[in-house]
Amino acid sequence: MKEFMLLIRNEGDAKASLSAEQQQVFLKACMVYIENLMKNGKLKSAQPLVREGKMVSGSPGSFKDGPYNESKEIIVGYYHILAKDIDEAVAIAQGNPEFAYVKGAKIEVRPIKMMEESTSYIYPENK
Amino acid sequence: MTAQTKISQLVEHLFRHEAGKLVAVLTRVFGPENIDLAEDVVQDSLVEAMDNWQYKGIPDNPAAWLFRVAKNKALNIINREKYQRKYSSEASYFLKSEWTAEPALNHFFSEQEIQDDQLKMIFTCCHPAISPDSQIALALKTLCGFSIPEIAKAFITTEENITKRLVRARQHIREAKIVFEIPYGENLEKRLNTVLETIYLLFNEGYSASRGNSIIRYELCEEAIRLAQIIAADKNIPQKGNVFSLLALMFLNASRFKAREDAEGNLLTMAQQDRSLWDNRMKDIGLRYLISATENNDISIYHILAAISAHYCISPDYESTDWAGILSLYDSLLQFDNSPVVLLNRAIAVSKVNGIEKGLAELELLKDNPLLKSYHLFYSTQAELYIQANHFSKAADCLKKAIELATLQAEKELLTRKLISIEKNNFNSMS
Repeated sequence: MKEFMLLIRNEGDAKASLSAEQQQVFLKACMVYIENLMKNGKLKSAQPLVREGKMVSGSPGSFKDGPYNESKEIIVGYYHILAKDIDEAVAIAQGNPEFAYVKGAKIEVRPIKMMEESTSYIYPENK
Repeated sequence: MTAQTKISQLVEHLFRHEAGKLVAVLTRVFGPENIDLAEDVVQDSLVEAMDNWQYKGIPDNPAAWLFRVAKNKALNIINREKYQRKYSSEASYFLKSEWTAEPALNHFFSEQEIQDDQLKMIFTCCHPAISPDSQIALALKTLCGFSIPEIAKAFITTEENITKRLVRARQHIREAKIVFEIPYGENLEKRLNTVLETIYLLFNEGYSASRGNSIIRYELCEEAIRLAQIIAADKNIPQKGNVFSLLALMFLNASRFKAREDAEGNLLTMAQQDRSLWDNRMKDIGLRYLISATENNDISIYHILAAISAHYCISPDYESTDWAGILSLYDSLLQFDNSPVVLLNRAIAVSKVNGIEKGLAELELLKDNPLLKSYHLFYSTQAELYIQANHFSKAADCLKKAIELATLQAEKELLTRKLISIEKNNFNSMS
């Protein structure tokens, strides 16, 4: 099993344009989606990110500590999932309710770089 | 039946059968160190059921209603206490995220997960960090829905004692930071043995002589069987020979439950029991388990005890029992357990196979055994054999010793009645 990060990207505050009723339906759909991932043992964690934040840039000695620009495309949350390969991870991403309810939503699918798997190397004994 | 009574009975029934499952899943959610919180939530949910159903009537699926209410209470607690109480369970990471908290609870409350949680609960209750008498009290309280008064009655001790044991158990769980899981590797086999011992103890509490309320006693047997079946059904547990043999033993013994007492509640011996009252369905289940248990070649004490029980169950009457078979089983049993009851039962088997004098000779060999010297059953067994050999005055002497040493009033009375009838016989045969 490999691990992937799904980074959920929205354009600005895209969800604010949903009616209260639509938000409820969307939330319900997300819960079903997440529960299914759990049932299949695919989910390690998933969390929303608060819309305020900071953007840090510059160099040691001269950091810029700017406000986070919430009107552009931002990451609204992440899913840390398990999948056998990137195709499966993409399929999981495609099932996310974001696409059905939130205009312009994007999901970035990134494999997590794991430690190299065992090569069955046997440590030589001192003979 | 009034609506009120109907509802109380339903809640009572639900408590017996669903509370254990609910406590198990909530313990998974909150972590073993929060077992008392799990129990509180279940208790609150049952109270709410009582209140709500009185006004709104009983819902179509009362168990599902109960589960939903408990789940919502759990969610509220998690949301309210997010940063206050520390949940160390594997669920806690999911519970900390707004996105995953409720789906996690929904998932945990699904059928398959709940089944597994009961299994984890059994193993948690039998963790070596908890003392043996606390283990069984904890299992009864959390898994079997027994109240503290009921547990106290079953173990013939005070409610205060039971409460102390439960408090200690919870303390040990916290101190040892016990994790809610099925152990693996070699820990699994060790823990499984403890679990089976606890279940057997539980069964015997229900099955043993003349104590307490017979309805509760039978429920103890039922609960023991139910827990063993959960283990038998689980795919994570590889070697099932011992579980199957324990189930065989329990079913075979339980099949005779209804015949064990006469109308006045006195215990009847195997010879006296009305075999038409034996439950054939349970006997058959027991025999099937016994066959499954012997598929690999490991033998446990439960295998032997089950085989002995099977011999009694399949025999049409007492005298046609395969005594030679039973004797050789008792010989094997001695290697596992050379306790007084085993030695005495073996002596009886000897008397059946090799004649009464040989049986008496066996008992003679045992008369200096420190465990038997002041054990009333030793003398009542001797008396029984003397009666069969028509040595009435020797029988009377033994009975007198037995009466002196017997602890339970009911037993003293039984032995006294026997003594009186012998003395009458003796008197008659002399005149």
